[in-house]
Amino acid sequence: MRISRYLLYIVILIFLLTLPIYTGVYLLNVIDIILIYIALALSWDMLLRSGQISFGIAGLFGVGGYAAVLFHLKLGISPLISILMGGLAAAVLAWLVGMAVLQLRGMYFAIVTLALAEIFRVIIRNLPDLTGGPEGTVLSSAIFAGSSTRTYWLVLAGAIVSIIASEFFRRTRIHFAITSIRNDEIVARSSGIDVFKYLVFIFVITSAIQGMTGGAYAHIYGFVSPEGSFSVDFTLLPIAMALLGGMHLTWGPVLGAVLLGAVSELLKLYIPYGHLLVYGVIIVITILFFPQGILGTLGQRLKKTDTG
Amino acid sequence: MSLLSKLKQKSYQIAIISVVLAIILGFWKPHVLIEGIQRACLYAVIALPMALILGIVGIINLAHGDFMMLGAYFAYFLNVYTGMDPLLAIFPALFAFFLIGIVSYKAIIKYVLGAPELNQLLLTFGLAMIMEQLANLFWTSRPIKLSLNYVSSSATIGSFTFGTYEFVYIGAAIIVLAGLLLFLKRTSTGQAALAVGQNPRGAKLVGIHVDRTYLLIFSLSIALVGAIGAIFMTRHSIFPLVGAPFTMKSFCLIAMAGIGNLLGILWCSLILGLAENFVLSFRGYAGWADILFFALIVLVIMIRSRQRQVK
Amino acid sequence: MVVLKTENLSRYFGGLMALNRVSMEFRKDEILGIIGPNGAGKTTFINVVAGIYLPTEGKIFFNGRQISDLPAHKRCRLGIGRTFQLVRPLQGLSLLENVMVGALFGNGLRQREARKKAEEWCEFLELSDITRDITRMTALEVKKMEIAHALAAEPKLLFLDEVMAGLNSDETKEMIDLVRKIHSRGIVIGIVEHVMRVIRELTDRVVVLDWGEIIAQGPYEEVSNDPKVIAAYLGEEA
Repeated sequence: MRISRYLLYIVILIFLLTLPIYTGVYLLNVIDIILIYIALALSWDMLLRSGQISFGIAGLFGVGGYAAVLFHLKLGISPLISILMGGLAAAVLAWLVGMAVLQLRGMYFAIVTLALAEIFRVIIRNLPDLTGGPEGTVLSSAIFAGSSTRTYWLVLAGAIVSIIASEFFRRTRIHFAITSIRNDEIVARSSGIDVFKYLVFIFVITSAIQGMTGGAYAHIYGFVSPEGSFSVDFTLLPIAMALLGGMHLTWGPVLGAVLLGAVSELLKLYIPYGHLLVYGVIIVITILFFPQGILGTLGQRLKKTDTG
Repeated sequence: MSLLSKLKQKSYQIAIISVVLAIILGFWKPHVLIEGIQRACLYAVIALPMALILGIVGIINLAHGDFMMLGAYFAYFLNVYTGMDPLLAIFPALFAFFLIGIVSYKAIIKYVLGAPELNQLLLTFGLAMIMEQLANLFWTSRPIKLSLNYVSSSATIGSFTFGTYEFVYIGAAIIVLAGLLLFLKRTSTGQAALAVGQNPRGAKLVGIHVDRTYLLIFSLSIALVGAIGAIFMTRHSIFPLVGAPFTMKSFCLIAMAGIGNLLGILWCSLILGLAENFVLSFRGYAGWADILFFALIVLVIMIRSRQRQVK
Repeated sequence: MVVLKTENLSRYFGGLMALNRVSMEFRKDEILGIIGPNGAGKTTFINVVAGIYLPTEGKIFFNGRQISDLPAHKRCRLGIGRTFQLVRPLQGLSLLENVMVGALFGNGLRQREARKKAEEWCEFLELSDITRDITRMTALEVKKMEIAHALAAEPKLLFLDEVMAGLNSDETKEMIDLVRKIHSRGIVIGIVEHVMRVIRELTDRVVVLDWGEIIAQGPYEEVSNDPKVIAAYLGEEA
């Protein structure tokens, strides 16, 4: 049973790796966006499993993007390494914010993260010599000289890393710690779990993923700006995707990213202004009627028929 | 017992510090003092309704600033189609947004009252996004402004001039704060609301209609914030995202003052307003003013976590 | 030998004094009962000793070491365990996994060992069908799971907070036997109860709390005839 499972994974992997051969550039670009959102939606969900909400995806994404671009431009670091540095920068930021604010958690933490994007927009606008100011900074060339195949492999790697991280969180003792913390912090503490340390750890790891994704995005499009890199898209869409697909699962956010990512491309064509409306509506409707999302609701139905 | 007296000292300390700072500024940079107080009152008048909802209904409304934005657009279109002065539009706004509050509560908010805080945060976040995107859809992101002549009135004392129209914010803040305090402490409905805020189950046992109280307080809060939007519209240009920073700053003020401390919000707004205007007065550093609230809220959270004896 | 000692332990909540200069000892090989009317501070006492609240005044010593400032998770790892009055099983985990949490973090075991330990403790408490969903358990099974969870962390001192509440006569007897079985493993037990039969049968000594203070200490027969204790309980009934 195990061997055939691994064989399946390998076949899927080969298929994914060779995708560029049989898809056009436009479709590949759409898939790139979906893969980026898979990473963002998954990393957001991983923190959600501990009971904390971060509205700061865009903030950490943008910080990663700027860090990657600045390390590359000012220090001559290669694009790939600078993407890792972007992740590191986001991780450091998350560590600082987490240490300061995670003692109070809940809405205090959520609103502080909400402010992150705005704060960095202000900082970047005020340091024009370093960051290029309100107009942003343009790279002379995109990563891999714009090769769509290599770009695709890059974001595919990012998505796979996120999936592996999510599964790692689900299969190790971290799953037990996170679930306990989410359910009842007092019980968790009485069981020997250092809640604060776990929360900071999860926040740092998920922020690093978001930062690296931002770094990749910046190098792929060759451009960072206060408005573009910190756009509310990068917070709103991953949340809608994770909620729609099914929270607390690995494949839920993936499903949500695939569905809504594809839809987003269509929407942008037909409703250029305010297509983000759809995502707000999805969030409201899922919270009110289907908090478990697609996969979660399906899973519950299956359980019922099992025991039924 | 010793804890109580310590607490009392802290709130007096805050008041004393802000008064001292105000006096220093008065002599050093009088512009900052006047404009800081005006700005502070704008913040306070927006934060107070949010504090009301948080303290009594117990729900955090991330769409708060966006209701203000809608109020501003409401006043604008009322002016465009009927020529009504936005300051007068306060009254229809109060009425219209009270209704909007009722609808929002019954259709949506009611369902997450018992749910975990997570759901409330996500739901109101989704609502905020919907409101901002609807505004974007209907009215695009182009900023609009009304030019009213009374807005640029000014006065001169000695050698310096300052805008006098902004005193309307100070008036609004005093009216709203005094009105709310009187309502909560002197009327039976208000006192019932306070009881519900402190102990919903206990209040229900005594026969207070909890759901109706929540409905009233929520709608009242939305009505206030919509009306404030009308005032805001007279002086500022509006665009779909204009309300969002106010949501965050309001929360910052509530966190500083402590949930349930309405008067404290006034003092904390003073600190924030004066600090922001202080930074704004330095030519080269003006852009940094918008970070102050973030620094303040992080500081407050760090202090609170230290204070917490309950781990 | 004294396993746990509190010295003038006090805990204020704002102006409310929940515990007032409580000095108690838990000795090795002992089952200590903690009784008192509702609101006397029994659960608060457990919460302060377990580290959920820090003491406002006073000290706590565990095996000779001062632990008054230690966070709750460290006290659990040192060997202080407790159950909760209102059991809140962890959603998203099976019965066995709920118990495993104690073994994983209170004891620092790896997953495989933790699973084995958890299975052993479930067997010890006569819990069957342990991989099932937690949504279908009887009241007795829920309590057993709660105790197994605490035991999985290998405590040296275990507080049982009203474990008998809501059990019928047969179930109470079963639970009394289980408590004796736990005690026979060398675990010191502090048992908070309202059901006096349990206190009478199980405990070596009893401490009576009222309004956060100790009003009587001693074997059950002595304490149950103490007029102060009777007055405290009668006051509650009135």
